[in-house]
Amino acid sequence: MLSLSLVRRLQRMVIQAMAKKYDVVIIGSGVIGSSIAYHLSESKEKEILVIDKDFPLSGTSGSTQAWVWVHNKTPAWYGELSMYSAELYPFLEKKIGDVEYKRTGGIAPFFDEADREKALRLAEKQAEVGIEIDVLNREQVLEKEPALSPNIAGATFSKIDGNVNPFRLVELYIKASKKNQVQFSFYNPVIDIEKENGVYKIITKSETYFAKQLILAGGPWTKEIGNMLGVDIPVKQVRGQIIVTEPLAPILKHTIGGMRQADNGEVLIGYSKEEVGYDRRTTLDVIQDTAKMAMDYLPDLAKANIVRCFSGVRVMPNDGLPILGPIPTMDNAYIAVMHSGITLSPLVGTLMTELLTEGETSIDLNRLKLDRFNEFNASV
Amino acid sequence: MEKSTVVCKCEEINIDEIESAIKIGAHTFDDIKRLTRCGMGPCQAKVCTNLVRQIISECTNKPLSDIKPSKMRMPLKPTRIGVLAGSQESSSVISVFSETAPEDGDSSNG
Repeated sequence: MLSLSLVRRLQRMVIQAMAKKYDVVIIGSGVIGSSIAYHLSESKEKEILVIDKDFPLSGTSGSTQAWVWVHNKTPAWYGELSMYSAELYPFLEKKIGDVEYKRTGGIAPFFDEADREKALRLAEKQAEVGIEIDVLNREQVLEKEPALSPNIAGATFSKIDGNVNPFRLVELYIKASKKNQVQFSFYNPVIDIEKENGVYKIITKSETYFAKQLILAGGPWTKEIGNMLGVDIPVKQVRGQIIVTEPLAPILKHTIGGMRQADNGEVLIGYSKEEVGYDRRTTLDVIQDTAKMAMDYLPDLAKANIVRCFSGVRVMPNDGLPILGPIPTMDNAYIAVMHSGITLSPLVGTLMTELLTEGETSIDLNRLKLDRFNEFNASV
Repeated sequence: MEKSTVVCKCEEINIDEIESAIKIGAHTFDDIKRLTRCGMGPCQAKVCTNLVRQIISECTNKPLSDIKPSKMRMPLKPTRIGVLAGSQESSSVISVFSETAPEDGDSSNG
């Protein structure tokens, strides 16, 4: 008769033999995880698996206005990264299909004449990295967008900004990845991660997988994944609430800092940040403030019907800037976590592919490394 | 039923489109919604929720009772932005005092 411990050992060996091995496992199938999967799969050299605790678009990537927003991202080098990413969108669309990317130009209005000084300083700073910003006066704003409020004193404007359909974007990243043989596992939370004989063992609700290289791209949920690896990922969860109008006749041509009109006529409005953990409820106070903001910007919206409110949990690194690159204390583990994933996804997918295949990137990622944070260094 | 039968009237989404979304792995109403726009229109899934749940149940062989309905969010029916913002000019609440208080030069209530 076999002893119990021997049976257990045999069981473990069988599980290990049956467990699937991949070159790369990506945790998170949002806009960042699926973009990395797609770009990595273009060479068709690696076996790739993407795991998600839910279904694509059920988290942050599916609850956003999806601006591709560049012009007032500061410091300027961060604006520069955003600009390179925005520049990649037209080519991306050629490769994966119509994601409804529109380079509408972006307008960020201000109501106080005193803000013009700040606007001019921003324009000067961003010009140093090649981002062209015009500082508009009231007449120039109204000439571009006649429906905006005459109470607006001015605005910053740049041609580089735009928006995209986030549903199409993530869906097509995944579709193109599948075409390149990437595997996906949905509704499958990761329960634990261990390192065994130099490879990562990823234990999920339904199966166990092995990976030579591991990428954490879980957005706000990366914090929990980091805990499994014993590293503190210095990010916060931030709730943003948005209201959606009924389809309206064309009223806005540009992406406005705060709102945009979609192809089907709906106007998406909102810009709020609340630190309430993973709570995704809609709250009347923020919705009322958002409705007031809508009318301050665009008075005619008072007559528009709201059909829905939604809310999303965004990830906010403690210093507001993306975290991208190797996890310094762990071989072959990488992280890609950032607030503006929609804007940055084409660039992040490209750079992470360079990093995983060549070991170096065409753009220096030193400023985006995880070990810039004291919280991370204290945890290792 | 015909594959072309419309289940979401607001966004004109038919059975075939719902089944395609289920085939690529979406197994909840809200996950199907984000892929197809089913339930995103003016009625906010009031008409299609149970029709879609039924299709999910049939395709995934799960009992209907295990299929969650769509997530409901405020406002439950279309509401004007001006109303949500609560502008004072449009107040429909009458001041009892100003309704009965005599106006200047009005002697009829005197």
